[in-house]
Amino acid sequence: MSAAMTTIAATAAGPTGVASVQLLDLLCGGVLLTAVLILWRRELAAIVRLLALQGVFIAGLAALVAGAEGGVAGYLVALGVLALKTFVIPAVLRRVLADSGEARETEPLVNVAASLLAAALLTLLAYVVSQPLVALAPSAATRALPVGVAVVLLGFFVLVTRRRALSQVVGFLLLDNGITTTAFLAASGVPLVVELGVSLDVLLVVLVLQILAARMRTTFGGTDLDELNELRD
Amino acid sequence: MIQTGLWLVALGALVGAAAVVVAPERRRHVVAGSVTALVGVGGVLAGLGGLGGSTWTAVAPGLLPLGEARLAVDALSGAFLLLIGAVAVAAGVYGIGYTAPGGRHAQDLPAAHDQHLPDAAAHHASPAASRTAQATVPLFVAAMLLVPAAASVTTFLVLWELMALTSLLLVLTEHRLRASVREAGLWYAGMTHAGLVAIMTAFALVAANVGGESFDAIRAGAADLSPTVRTVALVLVLLGFGSKAGMVPLHVWLPRAHPEAPSHVSALMSAAMVKLGVYGLIRVAFDLLGGAPRWWGLLVLALGCLSALYGVLQASVAVDLKRLLAYSTSENVGLMLIGLGAAAVFAADGNRVLAGVVMAAAVLHAFNHAAFKTVLFLGAGSVLRSTGLRDLDALGGLVRRMPVTTALVAVGTLGAAALPPGNGFVSEWVLLQGLIHSVGPGGSPVVAVSIPVAVGVVALTAGLGVATFVKAFGVGFLALPRSTAAAEATESPLPMRVGMGLAAGVCLALGLLPAVAARPLDRVLGVLPEVRSIDPLADSAVTLRLNGIAGSMSPLVIAVGLVLAGTAVVALVRRLSRGVPRRVAPAWGCGAIERDPRQEYTATSFAEPLTRVFDDVLRPEQDVDVTPLAESRYLIESVTFRQRVPDRLEARIYPPLLAAATAWGRWSRRLARGSVHTYLAYGFVGLLAALLLAGVTG
Repeated sequence: MSAAMTTIAATAAGPTGVASVQLLDLLCGGVLLTAVLILWRRELAAIVRLLALQGVFIAGLAALVAGAEGGVAGYLVALGVLALKTFVIPAVLRRVLADSGEARETEPLVNVAASLLAAALLTLLAYVVSQPLVALAPSAATRALPVGVAVVLLGFFVLVTRRRALSQVVGFLLLDNGITTTAFLAASGVPLVVELGVSLDVLLVVLVLQILAARMRTTFGGTDLDELNELRD
Repeated sequence: MIQTGLWLVALGALVGAAAVVVAPERRRHVVAGSVTALVGVGGVLAGLGGLGGSTWTAVAPGLLPLGEARLAVDALSGAFLLLIGAVAVAAGVYGIGYTAPGGRHAQDLPAAHDQHLPDAAAHHASPAASRTAQATVPLFVAAMLLVPAAASVTTFLVLWELMALTSLLLVLTEHRLRASVREAGLWYAGMTHAGLVAIMTAFALVAANVGGESFDAIRAGAADLSPTVRTVALVLVLLGFGSKAGMVPLHVWLPRAHPEAPSHVSALMSAAMVKLGVYGLIRVAFDLLGGAPRWWGLLVLALGCLSALYGVLQASVAVDLKRLLAYSTSENVGLMLIGLGAAAVFAADGNRVLAGVVMAAAVLHAFNHAAFKTVLFLGAGSVLRSTGLRDLDALGGLVRRMPVTTALVAVGTLGAAALPPGNGFVSEWVLLQGLIHSVGPGGSPVVAVSIPVAVGVVALTAGLGVATFVKAFGVGFLALPRSTAAAEATESPLPMRVGMGLAAGVCLALGLLPAVAARPLDRVLGVLPEVRSIDPLADSAVTLRLNGIAGSMSPLVIAVGLVLAGTAVVALVRRLSRGVPRRVAPAWGCGAIERDPRQEYTATSFAEPLTRVFDDVLRPEQDVDVTPLAESRYLIESVTFRQRVPDRLEARIYPPLLAAATAWGRWSRRLARGSVHTYLAYGFVGLLAALLLAGVTG
């Protein structure tokens, strides 16, 4: 923890100009908005579209941070994020969706209205707990840090409350997006190697989950996770 | 010397264990025993260096995941290094013979009077000769040796746990042969881990409050500790180290694990490992925390009295030889605890001279107990290997079949019975001297009541101890054999006799020339701030003198006197019987021509008066089966009598605790309902709670 904090303090330069700060806030707002919208929508196809859109915002964020830092590697990272989060993963998810024939997230464990209320509370919590981090090195980028934390919490919330296997994947991806956002905002960009490793991991997890969902469907005829209740001693 | 010794310990254990693993099967027992003895020699070297007055410190930063490894040897560490090292040398040499092919110890123990002995089992390789067991012994010894050398909390805990795990592995060596081994392992694992939790909590609390985890930092900051922290830490270390030492009522693992482990391991555990509990108490309470308050001393004194009395009572009625020895360990640890408790009380009252005397008695008794308990456990192992029996009621007559073993065990028995010129006598004498001299005008009322009680307890313990060991030796080794297995016993292989002989030699040396230990013991006490520069023991050639109080004793003179008196009696009888015609007849035959083992005292019948006197405490379970003849129920064909003396204290305390733990486990299983969402929700709620806590407090 303390090591991470010193990294932040040392490198919290980030974008400084008025226009780029406004752009940064806009992109962060987009990331948060898409996360909340994912909670709102129940059409799985729409959720995948929103996820792709969130990928665009994160890639933009990466590019903005790269522009402030200078150097080509940052732009490469942004390009990689864009490719992975906007095209590759949504494509995989669409394929799962087409195979499954389950178009909607039926009856989530917490209904949509309550989910949105919970999202508001979680975002509030994210802002509260991020205060000490922001106070370490106040700058435009770190002030937006709570957005990343909020997206992590929202992703976890999706994992807990949604039933379909695809929704679980979405929740997991939201978690990852939140962590990526936090990383870009806090550490002013991520080394290419690290981002490459993380991305490959995420891709692998999604592929495994895709296979798992297909297996569940052929075995149980559906992907409702609550039917898997033999998982106990 | 310390550094050489410790290098020998660490490298010897690692390289040695590897050598044991790759050694061919028929050489394995030789390699394992030699390596263990070599590691022990390292401990002896380091211990002698430490006792000689030199100190040594080493720091290896980054060796442990969360901190540095820090070792330091002072006189107190040196004393325990020497003790453990010497036990390991004897046990290592002995192990060469014990784990060699042959012997009857690798079989299922037959029931008390079962005369049937499967021949096939006699040729089985003992599980104690397996690769894992043989390679673990040197590692266990090295872990034990490094514990007293540890000089930071992390190092201490890592080594302590390594010692617990390796000893657990060794206790479980014969788990395929007997279900009781698995049960013993479970009890031992439970008790040792509960103890570790207590010790770890105490250390963590202290280290957090002084702001450093090295023992030096704790020593420096101990004076500023708040009374609450000090109190909690002292109680926790008493529980944790007490459970390792076999303090009643935390002794329950001892009478299970010691009998079930292979005998050289029993000796290592009972003579050496248990002492580390005592070491821990001395190190933390008297050294690191700079002294203990009076209530703690009284608590330790009370628990020591309880352990001594309860241990010796159970030992006096025990029929299983190794179980008897295990309870006797509890008894002797009780005596050491009486010493520690009295030292804390005296120091709190400002009487540093007496505190020094009783503390010296406790440390000296640790040495004496280690010496005679090594001989006795190794002797019990020889009997077990030769006959396959641990049941005293089925033994007897071994003096003719195993003369060397019997002679060596006799030396150990003399020490354990605390009779002169045995070595146990010396330390109990010093302890009694210290306690008795506190009685007098001017003492506080609590001390005036509790110390005389302790004197009574020590005296009663010594008396019952004599009865116990007369029974163990008389019934087990003398008289006529009570089973064919005992009648067919053969003398142990040479390495076993050498191992026992080494320990018996130390017994004799400590018993006859305790004055040799005076200077080193004074140096040990020099480590402890409360009794520093008291030098309670002084030596003048063969006499042990107590400084500050009037007391001196010369065991050698007592021994010489005994020998002279014995010779005089024999000479007198010869002279008086001159001219009287000599007739050869069986002794104790009472005129009967035919002698039968069934006429002899058994261990049960010998202890019967004690069982009767202490009936309320022991509550034996007795079974009398009368089988009448088929023709008439007034004529009796046979009567069988069976008696078990279960551990009443254990039956009172532990079942409710175990039931509560089981109920708690059952209840917590309800948390696992099988729904993935519930499991995820646990994580989510946990995360939110942690964040909220951070948000509120941060």
